[in-house]
Amino acid sequence: MIKQLRRGIQWLKNLKLAQKLILINSVLIVIPLGALGVYAFSSFRGTMEANVGESQLQTMKQITLNIDTYMEELNRLSLMPYQYQDILDYLASERKPGSSLSLEEISLLNNFVSKVFLNGRIDIMGVSLYGSKGASYVVMPESQYVTSYKLDEDAEWLKEAQGHFGEPIFLTTHELKPTSGSVYEVFSIVRELRSFDSGQTIGYIVLDVDPAVVGTILAQVQLGRNESLYITNAAGDIVISKGSVVPGADGAAASFRGEGVTHLETNGERMLVSYATSELTQWTTVGAVPVSELMQDSVQVRNSIMIMGMVCIGSAMLFSVFTAYRITLPIRKLSRLMKKVEKGQLEVTFPVNQWDEVGQLGSAFNKMVSRLSELGYLLYETEIREKDAQIAALQSKINPHFLYNTLGSISMYAELEGSKEITTMTNNLSRILRYSLNAHQSGVVLKDEIEHIRSYMAIQKLRYDERLHFTLDIAAEAMDCAVIPLMIQPIVENSFKHGLDKGVGEGRISLAGGIQDGLLRLTVEDDGIGLTTAQLEHIRRQLAYSRDLGGETGNGLLNVHRRLVLCYGERYGLTIDSMPYRGVRVTLTIPAKPIPSHRETEAAAVFHSTS
Amino acid sequence: MKRHRWSKHRSGAAIGFAWAVLLLLLPGCTGQNPGSEPISKPHHVVRLEYWTPFSGGDNQFMTEMVERFNKEHPEIQVVQKNSRLDDYYSRLKTAVLSGNAPDVAIVHSTIMPQFVQNGYVEKLTMEAKDLGIDWKRFNPNILRSVLYEDDYYGVPLDTHALVMYYNKDWLSEAGVLDEAGRPIIQKGPDGFKSFLEQIRRRVPADIAPLAQPSTRIDSVWLWWSLYNQLTDGGQFYSEDGTEAVFNNPAALKALSFVNDLYKDKLIPSDINDAFQLFYDGKAAVLITGMWGTGAFEKAEGLQFGVVPVPTIYDYPAVWGDSHNLSIPKKRGMTEEKREAVLTFANWIVGHGDMWAEAGHVPSMTELTRSEMFNRLEYRSDYAATANYVAYWPRNAKQWSINERIISEFERMIYGYQTPEEALDAAVKKINADLRK
Repeated sequence: MIKQLRRGIQWLKNLKLAQKLILINSVLIVIPLGALGVYAFSSFRGTMEANVGESQLQTMKQITLNIDTYMEELNRLSLMPYQYQDILDYLASERKPGSSLSLEEISLLNNFVSKVFLNGRIDIMGVSLYGSKGASYVVMPESQYVTSYKLDEDAEWLKEAQGHFGEPIFLTTHELKPTSGSVYEVFSIVRELRSFDSGQTIGYIVLDVDPAVVGTILAQVQLGRNESLYITNAAGDIVISKGSVVPGADGAAASFRGEGVTHLETNGERMLVSYATSELTQWTTVGAVPVSELMQDSVQVRNSIMIMGMVCIGSAMLFSVFTAYRITLPIRKLSRLMKKVEKGQLEVTFPVNQWDEVGQLGSAFNKMVSRLSELGYLLYETEIREKDAQIAALQSKINPHFLYNTLGSISMYAELEGSKEITTMTNNLSRILRYSLNAHQSGVVLKDEIEHIRSYMAIQKLRYDERLHFTLDIAAEAMDCAVIPLMIQPIVENSFKHGLDKGVGEGRISLAGGIQDGLLRLTVEDDGIGLTTAQLEHIRRQLAYSRDLGGETGNGLLNVHRRLVLCYGERYGLTIDSMPYRGVRVTLTIPAKPIPSHRETEAAAVFHSTS
Repeated sequence: MKRHRWSKHRSGAAIGFAWAVLLLLLPGCTGQNPGSEPISKPHHVVRLEYWTPFSGGDNQFMTEMVERFNKEHPEIQVVQKNSRLDDYYSRLKTAVLSGNAPDVAIVHSTIMPQFVQNGYVEKLTMEAKDLGIDWKRFNPNILRSVLYEDDYYGVPLDTHALVMYYNKDWLSEAGVLDEAGRPIIQKGPDGFKSFLEQIRRRVPADIAPLAQPSTRIDSVWLWWSLYNQLTDGGQFYSEDGTEAVFNNPAALKALSFVNDLYKDKLIPSDINDAFQLFYDGKAAVLITGMWGTGAFEKAEGLQFGVVPVPTIYDYPAVWGDSHNLSIPKKRGMTEEKREAVLTFANWIVGHGDMWAEAGHVPSMTELTRSEMFNRLEYRSDYAATANYVAYWPRNAKQWSINERIISEFERMIYGYQTPEEALDAAVKKINADLRK
């Protein structure tokens, strides 16, 4: 688990910068938007369901109210017999069922019934008057009145109507079969009629009403496509229904009391059921609609939210991808350039267009690359020079012992022969050779270099004899300074070339030196032909700018100068002064770095010689 | 650092955008009240309220016709509302006066003048022509009852007149049934009386020789039929129509005959529902409207026959009336409804053969001549009656005038007054009404 997590984190870390940005943005966009969408939708759905339930309940109440209004009218209508004492008298009279009526009675009852029929806005289908002592007057649709009905004491409705304190009861839809053969569906209101004087029950009035009116009230309401809308009486029997009914536990219609909203599961479908019971009729109006149907709109909302969410996320993601790539573009370019540099391609530049971190990075990169290429060049040059020196050394190393031995033999013979010059020359030559061949060794101090020059000059003295006047004047404290080997000899050689070989001047060459301001300064002067201004300029320019090593044929001065610059830096090296026919003065300047632990323990001595 | 802040800023913007979208979205959705949305869009249906006064067993036939019409015309929905004739016109008049009349109503020819005179029903001439109602196809005798000046005010549905039903079992038991199953009645008033007396002698005591209710209009119809059979009878109003003149010897003669039937108990007293009595086999003879035929055919165990009301006096005549389909005038009447009504009326009269099954004689001549109609048992026996129907005179107050006669006759039947007094009282009261 932790391993996996670690691996995941590592994977994340290894992702490209742009991918990381995209990933982070996606998370930042998708999660809040998704959560918001889910929250908004679920709360919307909840509210909607509650609202629908509430409005459905209101509808049920409205239906109940409408029906009650109607029933109230029916209720009032059923009170009509109390306004006609004659009717009450007729009902209270003792009669045999079917006994004929007098013309007055016929007229009275017919008038009364006609009034009931025509009264109000109610479509009465039948009026029945039952007296408790056998009188009856029943009018049904399409038939004449009948007086032969006997009150069935066992009838359910009669029992129900009794003891209601004269309050009416409402009978659910039942069939009325008059003699004409037609069958009528009616529901009825039954009222017990009582005498105020005796408190006895006089009889009953039953009004049969076309249920179409209630049906019309129900028909005006549309809860949904698969609605169930029905009315049950107190006993749970269906009064009237529109659409299917919600089956209850026993298979019959589910009945409710009071008012409220609830959920029921029927046939695997969740139904939103609302119901309201009428105080007047004790009938309960029940409306049920499948929740899925009600929520159809919410599905639309959900889809809209989802589509909008997708569009938002999509466009945000596109934008995110675009910006991520846009932002990392310079970084990727930099990375590509770095790879090129890695391969050694240093001629690259990063175009800096902006001054943000990336711009600064690019500019730093540019600086770094240019510095790198410079350093590379210097290193290269040093290496080449080093190699040259080594090759030269190797060349001169060709059997040095043989040379030493030969020189030793020559010196010995010369001594035996008494030729002092040859002995001196060979000894000096041997010394020069030894120094030159060991020149690559480090830790050379000025003293060694001066010794070497001295030997060199001793030989040259024999060659040039009286024409050479060499003076050496070096401050003693300078003798222990570290120097580059063989750095003075080319300068002195140059003096021979320009001073003695051209045959101008007295052949004076002087080497002077000392420490001044922490710098070791050596000066080689001759009194030769000197340099013209142009020549001097040329040489100076060469010293300043040329990186040419000069090669074998090159200028010895240039070589020394480059070596000094490479070794000590641009500030050091050679400077040349010259006047035509007045000689040349070459000044060598390097930092004075005395090496105190010099292996030669002899006290510093002032070399002074005049030849 | 800068980059991080930027990303934060952007996700903030995204959330803001999401909110904006949701806020825009939500009200749009909650605004849709699920209840207000039409769940299924029913095609346009013209709903017609149709009032009828059929209470003699013929209503079931009309109901069947309406149902069939509705089935054949999905774009028109006719809702029939039937009431007993006793209350029908009170109801219709109230509806007309209160502005909520039905879209189409049955109006009897007798009461038509009242509706026409006061402009309670619409003229049909123009509209009917457009809808293909061809007036020439109607029985001219029947059609005349809806023609006022040059305009028609109703589409005649039928003629219904008094006929004589008889119970074959009782008549054969009384020996007054011939081999063809027709009653054997001698000529003249005495012949008819002896026919009934013969029955009374032979059938059980609880069987009515002639069943007629002791109240309501039936006795008036019988009197009007007999009065019109007399050579010098049939006069109701004076020539100028300003007063009733039926307190004459001929009228008295006819009424006395009727009264005698009651008095001699050939018509048992206190009959309320004569129709039911015959239906139940408790009456040998019944004189009532031809609308009973269909119902009697459905009565189990009833062997009955029907003939035109016998010509007791000089020449055949019998009370009759017509049912007409009319459009009561009201504000909410639209051209669309009017067209639908005429379509319905045209269909109903065109299917007079269905209506004939109830017992009535169809208003279209081609139907009474059709094989269909003539194949119907009984109807052909009395179809000719339509030709000598004695309508009530055309008077705006005729319906209420008849009410006067009814109540006077009822008093006569119950023995409160003689036929002469009844006629005098009726004429007096009617003349008082006419002067109003």
